[in-house]
Amino acid sequence: MEKRTGTVLWILAAAANAVALALVFLYAPVEVQMGAVQKIFYYHVPSAIVCYVLLFLAFLFSVLYLWREEPLYDHLAYAAAEVGWVFITAVLVTGPVWGRSAWGKWWVWEPRLTSFLVLWLTYSAYFLLRLFSRGEGRTAKIAAVLAIVAFFDVPIVHKAISWWGSIVHPKKVVLEPPMRLTFLVSLVAVFLLGAALAFTRTRLGLLEAQKAEREGWA
Amino acid sequence: MNTLRVIWVLFEKDFREELRRKENVASSLLFALLSLVLFAFALDPTRVNLNETGGGLLWLVILFAGSLFMGGSFRKETENGTLQALLLSPTDRSAIYAGKFLLNLLFLLVLEALLIFFAFVLLDFRPGPGLPALAGSWCAVTFGYAAVGTLLSALLAQVRGGAVLYPILLFPLMVPLVIAAATLTERALSPRFSWTDPWLRLVLLFDILFFTASLFLFEYAVEE
Repeated sequence: MEKRTGTVLWILAAAANAVALALVFLYAPVEVQMGAVQKIFYYHVPSAIVCYVLLFLAFLFSVLYLWREEPLYDHLAYAAAEVGWVFITAVLVTGPVWGRSAWGKWWVWEPRLTSFLVLWLTYSAYFLLRLFSRGEGRTAKIAAVLAIVAFFDVPIVHKAISWWGSIVHPKKVVLEPPMRLTFLVSLVAVFLLGAALAFTRTRLGLLEAQKAEREGWA
Repeated sequence: MNTLRVIWVLFEKDFREELRRKENVASSLLFALLSLVLFAFALDPTRVNLNETGGGLLWLVILFAGSLFMGGSFRKETENGTLQALLLSPTDRSAIYAGKFLLNLLFLLVLEALLIFFAFVLLDFRPGPGLPALAGSWCAVTFGYAAVGTLLSALLAQVRGGAVLYPILLFPLMVPLVIAAATLTERALSPRFSWTDPWLRLVLLFDILFFTASLFLFEYAVEE
């Protein structure tokens, strides 16, 4: 976990986001029906994708931690979950803005948005657990078990809510070529942002653990 | 002793303890009745037809009262210092989980039977010929609730503030079961219930998945 790797990641993420934003606002055409609000799409959807990837990583590192008991895996799992949570929040904040112009309401109990809300509640509970059990030896194991259980729950929550709800996200979106290019660049930009955040968060966790050890209260 | 015998011994020990102490059972059941009465005040049963919307409502009560009971199932072992003894016993760890799970399952089923009775008397809840369908689907939902509830109880037994955290951690995971319970209750009370209902299948999937995962993860949840 070298500091330099982090710096490189951050520079890449900043550059990619600058390009993505320029494409979103200057290059991509304005959508006919929704107008400028449609541009939220370029960050809304990538945030959702990156969040799924990060939550999967949190699950994976939690399994690895229980198996190998290597503290690094715990820091990685924690960082992935935390950054994933930030992206869930981004999806939840941009979703209603989209909904306001697409459906005329800030919130509709639409399946995908609703399952993100449940996801947000689940992972908020995970952080609460981390807060409450801070400084206790068994925290890492407890959190790992919870992350695994929560991850198994995600597809079932999604299935249940999609049966329960009625209005559906479009199954397949057909994008005009300039829109597709902009979307792909945004996807890369958000991925890099997620990677940079997760890297820095992991490094911070490791440094905190080192400090705690040095001061003798771990 | 084989594993089944161990599970039975552990179950019997907890069962007897709960009957003698009475406080956990009594407070959870009373809490359930109290919430039911408060729901009646909040919704006005003269205007709301509970036979249509009752399933979700009753399941909220089960969720709240059940979490009150299940949350304590491992905490009392930590408080009495008996968790160590349990863990030291030369047996498969998952047997400890299974014993606690059975007791929680039994409590929830008793709670549900009482709730249906009280809803019948107080809120005009009339399952009628749909009672077998209602019982079957509620048993399936309860199984999943007890499976996750018991695991989280073990997980939080040694965490500071575990009692506060327990429902906050548990309820988001229960979202699929709550929706399923509400929908299945509504269908059980109507003629269009079928035992191959996709909701029932989803609940069974949930049950199998989380019971198996809990048996496996329990060891990590209580390990020193």
